[in-house]
Amino acid sequence: MNNNSIKSIIDLSSDLRWKIGDDFYDGLAEGIYADASKIASRSVSTENQNKRFGIDSKIDKIVTSKTWGFPIMFLILGVILWLTIIGANYPSAMLSQLLLDTIHPFLKGLATSISMPWWLDGFLIDGVYLAAAWVIAVMLPPMAIFFPLFTLLEDFGYLPRVAFNLDYLFKKSGAHGKQALTMSMGFGCNAAGVVATRIIDSPRERLIAIITNNFSLCNGRWPTQILIATIFIGAVVPSSFSGLASLSAVIGIAVLGLFFMFFTSWALSKTVLKGEVSTFNLELPPYRPPRFWKTIYTSLIDRTMIVLWRAILFAAPAGAVIWLISNIYIGNESIASWTINSLDSFGFLLGLNGIILLAYIVAIPANEIVIPTILMLTVLTNGIVGGQGAGVMFELDSANAMGDILRAGGWTLLTAINLMLFSLLHNPCSTTIYTIYKETKSVKWTTVASILPVIMGFVITFLVAQVWRLF
Amino acid sequence: MNTYNPAYALLLFFAISLLGYLLFRPQKGWFWVIKNNLKSNEKIVIEDILKQLYHTENSGKEINVNSLTRALKFNDRIIVEVIGKMTNNELVQFDGDVLKLTNSGRDYALRIVRVHRLWEKYLAEKTGYDKMDWHEMAETKEHELSYEETNLLATQLGNPKYDPHGDPIPTTLGEIADVKGEFLSALAVNSVGKIVHIEDEPDVIYKQILAENIHIGSQIRVVKNNKQRVVFYAEGEEFKLAPIVAANITVRILEKDEIIEENRVRLSSLKEGEVAHILGISKESRGESRRRLLDLGFVKGTKISIDLKSPMRNPIAYLVKGTSIALRKDQASKILIKKD
Amino acid sequence: MEKKGNSACDTCVHFNAKGLKKLGVNIDNFDFVVALAGNPNTGKSTVFNALTGLRQHTGNWPGKTVTRAEGAFEYNSQKFKLVDLPGTYSLLSTSQDEEVARNFILFGKPDVTVIVVDASRLERNLNLVLQILEITDKAVLCLNLMDEAKRNNIKINERTLARDLGIPVVPTSARFSEGIPNLIQTINEVATGKIICKPHQIKNVPKNIEDAVKTLSIAIKKEFPTITNSRWIAFRLLEGDTHIIDALKKRTLV
Repeated sequence: MNNNSIKSIIDLSSDLRWKIGDDFYDGLAEGIYADASKIASRSVSTENQNKRFGIDSKIDKIVTSKTWGFPIMFLILGVILWLTIIGANYPSAMLSQLLLDTIHPFLKGLATSISMPWWLDGFLIDGVYLAAAWVIAVMLPPMAIFFPLFTLLEDFGYLPRVAFNLDYLFKKSGAHGKQALTMSMGFGCNAAGVVATRIIDSPRERLIAIITNNFSLCNGRWPTQILIATIFIGAVVPSSFSGLASLSAVIGIAVLGLFFMFFTSWALSKTVLKGEVSTFNLELPPYRPPRFWKTIYTSLIDRTMIVLWRAILFAAPAGAVIWLISNIYIGNESIASWTINSLDSFGFLLGLNGIILLAYIVAIPANEIVIPTILMLTVLTNGIVGGQGAGVMFELDSANAMGDILRAGGWTLLTAINLMLFSLLHNPCSTTIYTIYKETKSVKWTTVASILPVIMGFVITFLVAQVWRLF
Repeated sequence: MNTYNPAYALLLFFAISLLGYLLFRPQKGWFWVIKNNLKSNEKIVIEDILKQLYHTENSGKEINVNSLTRALKFNDRIIVEVIGKMTNNELVQFDGDVLKLTNSGRDYALRIVRVHRLWEKYLAEKTGYDKMDWHEMAETKEHELSYEETNLLATQLGNPKYDPHGDPIPTTLGEIADVKGEFLSALAVNSVGKIVHIEDEPDVIYKQILAENIHIGSQIRVVKNNKQRVVFYAEGEEFKLAPIVAANITVRILEKDEIIEENRVRLSSLKEGEVAHILGISKESRGESRRRLLDLGFVKGTKISIDLKSPMRNPIAYLVKGTSIALRKDQASKILIKKD
Repeated sequence: MEKKGNSACDTCVHFNAKGLKKLGVNIDNFDFVVALAGNPNTGKSTVFNALTGLRQHTGNWPGKTVTRAEGAFEYNSQKFKLVDLPGTYSLLSTSQDEEVARNFILFGKPDVTVIVVDASRLERNLNLVLQILEITDKAVLCLNLMDEAKRNNIKINERTLARDLGIPVVPTSARFSEGIPNLIQTINEVATGKIICKPHQIKNVPKNIEDAVKTLSIAIKKEFPTITNSRWIAFRLLEGDTHIIDALKKRTLV
């Protein structure tokens, strides 16, 4: 056995290939299909030749029609989002009643009764448990509603039609029509949205979809938007319009997110991603009646639980960190207040403050705990009466009461607007970052996807703050 | 905080952004310019001179040191110095004041041309870079790849004979397939031919050709040729070009028996309700995109019709082998069909 | 193709229902490796779930499974490890999915490759089937979505198809678990060598390519006499597949 003979085989193939020329692949593909065609014709008999099946084509004519295509699509997406946001309120309230208002005090009581040292009790119960409980209460209900609904549509076969309808728009910004779906999925959870980009088989467009998924406001961020809009935006208009005003502000932010998504997609496809291979094809599969219970079950197990589990894994340590930084003192100052002071001037430049920036740093694992962390830190650093002690996150039942605390902490309308903007434009949560890494297997693209939005957030909030202060 | 003023902050921000833009904007940014200048060493100058001489000799012209310095963008002093060294190494020789390649110089030049064209082929087949970028990128790469790397690249690309513009790629032994053809601008009315080469320089003209959606490999028939306009039919569409643009397209005149049926049209012209058969995919569809189309069953002889139009009329879903597959308009324009 | 013990169903003697255990992800000490290949959107993952008892999510989407999923089942006290490959239209391209599928069938040397096809789109699906049959001679065609085909008045003569392809053909409707016992039985018979396949070879390749493939194939066989899929290796060499070139150099193909 010698390697010369291998080399001669490879050289022979090189030579033969050169003689065949450029049509090798075409010839091969045509040859295989010719065989396929012959074999199929011998064993298949059918009455309706090459026609798509009746009912399918009727549904398709409607859902992709010029008149009905878009209204049907927006109606369905609207209904799903509405069901998710409104429907999740009740179980969310129940869960938070149970986990935060019942079990948490119970655990505290238990800890006291077995005379657990205060630091262990604080670290475990106020830190780890509270963060995990918070994430479950906020995240589980909307995801348990959103994902099964979305999965039902997916199994039915409607989603490829959405991609078909919207492709023209996405193509303009260098993206793939299927990005419409990964974006919608991102409204539920960015990590799930990133996983969903697997359906995009073109490398460039898939990376675009992954990097820009963060511009879809996810479940963890909707509550922040709604709360801040209610407290601050609703307050500047007459009370009869306050609901409308805060609602439009939230929708405005979501639409702004879409705008950034299109803009960033376009910019990426023209610059760093222009060398990635780009192809397009979209199969419109036949409609298949989904098997309702099985779909619900698998989507709960596959999407909701996995995402929730990952979120808890990341949130629990974050809770611990939050408790630790508020309770470990260096000299006279806790780590938290020291960090807040050093971040304050940068925060001021962005029209935010040190507390918000710190909250976003410690809440990288889970956006759900941003508001409770901000409230806790505001009470702590400003010595306001209220709250539950150092490192214990909390929320109040009434938006007004929370507004009072924040205003006492020096918040203005500018702070609120910039917080809403920053909540849209900042790094993805650590679950999403981890997922991006797993999907792309590339440190480079994970870094781009993590850093890019936060830089945009800095620039936008900075500009807004300066212009605001000029006038 | 006493010195803070929002207006100053804004000014500072814009100043920094401007600086960043000037430094790093694509190609013309100062950072890139400086980086490129540091890199342009003797090897690059030698290779560019060889290439220039090769192309000049190939087009049957002659060149002297003066016109060479004008054609290349290096410092004149460096060029003269390098030519001196090249004569010593017997890469070039003087014939009077005309500069000529020696045999070893020609071999070297062919190697550079080989890398350049292979790299363009690579960019076309394996990456998503735009046609407009290929040439510039190959200009840099041709100085970087070693002999072994080049051969490995050729193997992976399946030893292609032609680059994406239709220029022949020299083999390792320096063999080169010849491209026979005439400029489109010189063709008589009613002549039938096949586009074999589209020149990618200068940029301005290349852009116009691309904008017209003219595809390499198309069979054409000239219908009008005067000083103002060259008009021709290809794939069911009519194209009008200025003669200066047409001069950058090379056409090989087809013999009678080579002429394939002329009622081949682009899939993009198919209307709802019409049925057609696929004749093939244009050479203009390349790489992964082309393979995907073939894999999906867009092969010769396949029956095709429109299944669905999206609300914006692009993409359109076609019925192929029992499945509905949506393609964008630019893809459909690269699939050739014959209507039934 | 020789076929013994053909008509297997839930009740008949050949299928031993008691001998079947769905093992989910419990895949230690398997006796056979079974690869599951097929076009996107043919219900491949449904077949996978029906065989293993797992509940991997299956969307009505082309290209859902990107990474390999693995599961197992036990039949007649022999353990089968099942590998669900990404759904692809072809095995000839450079995309990541196709590379995973192609390299597993070629280098992973599964004991059986089950090719799942959509019965109502047979011609399109055969493209992939014919390519796989160039690589391996131990394959089973799973004619899935028979319910849809029936609904659309498509009739398939399984015998003709099996004879033309040279491998056993099993009609199934995996969504309703129809035909799965028969599939398991057939997998078992191919794995244990009870059924010997004589797979179809692609015939309509243009002459210049066919000649080159023949020449190259002879050269390969001379160097590696035990190789069974020299034609496929030749196709891939002409394509410039670096995996194959490396494998030749390292002699890991045999």
